Amino acid sequence: MSDPRTPLLKVRDLSVTFGTKRHPVSAVAGISFDVYEGETLGLVGESGCGKSTTGKAIMRIVEPTGGTVELEGRDITTEKGRALRQLRTRLQMIFQDPISSLNPRRRVKDIVAEPLDCWKSVTGDERERLVQDLLSKVGIDPLVYGNRYARQFSGGQCQRISIARSLAMRPKLLICDEMVSALDVSVQAQILNLLEDLKNEYGLTLLFIAHDLAVVKNVSDRVAVMYLGKICEIGPSDTLYEDPEHPYTKFLLGAALEADVDSPVHGDVLEGEPPSPLNPPSGCRFRTRCPNATEKCASEEPLLQEIAPGHQVACHYPLRTLARR
Amino acid sequence: MSDRLLEVRDLATTFATAGGPLPAVGGVSFDLNQNETLGIVGESGSGKTVLSRTIMGLQPRTNVTVSGSARLNGFEVVGASEEAKRGIWGTEVAMVFQDPMTSLNPVMRIGKQIDEVLRVRLGMDKAAAKARAIELLELVGIPSPVERYRAYPGQLSGGMRQRVVIAIALACSPKLLMADEPTTGLDVTIQAQILNLLDRLKSQLQMSVILVTHDLGVVATRTSRIIVMYAGRVVETGSTRDVFQNHRMPYTRALLESSPKVASHSHTRLQAIPGRPPNLMKLTAGCAFAPRCAYATERCHRERPELTAAEGPGHAFACWNPLPTTRGAS
Repeated sequence: MSDPRTPLLKVRDLSVTFGTKRHPVSAVAGISFDVYEGETLGLVGESGCGKSTTGKAIMRIVEPTGGTVELEGRDITTEKGRALRQLRTRLQMIFQDPISSLNPRRRVKDIVAEPLDCWKSVTGDERERLVQDLLSKVGIDPLVYGNRYARQFSGGQCQRISIARSLAMRPKLLICDEMVSALDVSVQAQILNLLEDLKNEYGLTLLFIAHDLAVVKNVSDRVAVMYLGKICEIGPSDTLYEDPEHPYTKFLLGAALEADVDSPVHGDVLEGEPPSPLNPPSGCRFRTRCPNATEKCASEEPLLQEIAPGHQVACHYPLRTLARR
Repeated sequence: MSDRLLEVRDLATTFATAGGPLPAVGGVSFDLNQNETLGIVGESGSGKTVLSRTIMGLQPRTNVTVSGSARLNGFEVVGASEEAKRGIWGTEVAMVFQDPMTSLNPVMRIGKQIDEVLRVRLGMDKAAAKARAIELLELVGIPSPVERYRAYPGQLSGGMRQRVVIAIALACSPKLLMADEPTTGLDVTIQAQILNLLDRLKSQLQMSVILVTHDLGVVATRTSRIIVMYAGRVVETGSTRDVFQNHRMPYTRALLESSPKVASHSHTRLQAIPGRPPNLMKLTAGCAFAPRCAYATERCHRERPELTAAEGPGHAFACWNPLPTTRGAS
């Protein structure tokens, strides 16, 4: 990798297989990527591509079946017990459904203080001060709302409370799994702006998992595109969106609808649907829907290769190479 | 006969709740012509779904008051009996709901669910219904329709299920297809397929379509006119181009600007709308958007603006301090 910065998170050959021995479903099929300190890596893909499973496997909410995940040089996949719990305070996760990720019968200030209470790391006064500080940071007045119950809040506010809770242990890495997809656009913009502010203030590194291409581009420095458990392209967000190299990335971007009357009406639409992960195609997993597929794509799996600094693509016929011919 | 298909006048739907009356739709008027696609856009709670269901005549039997009028091809939906409404469902108007899993019966083969409509509404016999059902499955782009006729909904993907729901809606050749968030919850590539399908069917079958959505991207290129709703009322309406490029109501602009764009650079600061949508049970006499509006004056909090005509054909907005027009500027 040509990037001189140190990776905070190093994922190597991560795989997650569900199902039975006879019918394995490989949700994540050996993916590798780095997340550098202070950056936001976006992870996009359609449902079933394994993006959420990747996030959960990094947290070890689901157990990885292969590969390693290193956070600041320590392998999360082999840690156990207290060491694992300690390591987990360095990375936190924010989930899609803000309402069901908070206990409706608990008070907001207790929800935010839960991580502190678990570790008994602070005294009563300090706890109070930290909670007030965190709640004000996410735009919830602790004096007015601190004693209210989670059920009294709207989705957007619940997501703010989730963010406050995730910051309580001062994590290095925040994994955001579809954190704005349940919110209305006007509220979504508030949360995305808030996340950007907090990222700078707390020096956070973000793994931002979402299906919405516009949202991912807005928050990310680099973007990784997943298809059927594999990464097919990873690169700086502006380059990747302007000059996608993988045919799938191009179709995905072409299908994204812009709120603009002058955007092209019928772009190239990707036909068919993703194949079942129970029985993935041989070779390149996208070949069954790819207009450029050849026999080589069926027999030989394309590996991620660097085609420009920081831009990797897993395709035998990257689009720019194809255009040059 | 004129080519006007639907006339909605002062349509209001109020639910009686334990906390008092909840005016979900508060006096909406619009027309829809034949072969036209209309978009109804709004955030959650804006009343767009209740409006579309009221036009269909689908509302709970109790605790709801509907006033005003909705005439569909001469048939007055408001106040009509269930019996009479059953006469227009399917043949005059049909609906595609958001969630294709819950609108299909999970333990009934999809072919049978299409047959049912054909046999009950059109009185077809078994063989004719089956042949027509397979034709419909083919029409909505389901591969190998003969085999899929025997499939259960659970054996199909979300996109395929939505195609089946569309096939059922089309079974009695309705004049108006009401699609309530038809692609929400589907992946982008599948969403594009379904929207293209609706477009094709609309011209092929000479239907009118009402597309209800929260996603401005969905309506941008596929509708001729748009209604923007906020807190149960129409705040702006006009041709799609006018609404997108010459909007006068600050809420329309805020809605457009708060959504991230694929075309803009990463880390572009979003123009968020402060606050959140109002509680419909506590609406004030003024403009419902006033508490979140950057242009609000004292009058906005006191008096509600009615829809005022703008320059463009059919373009109207409800605002005391409209944004300057950009018509003729570019």
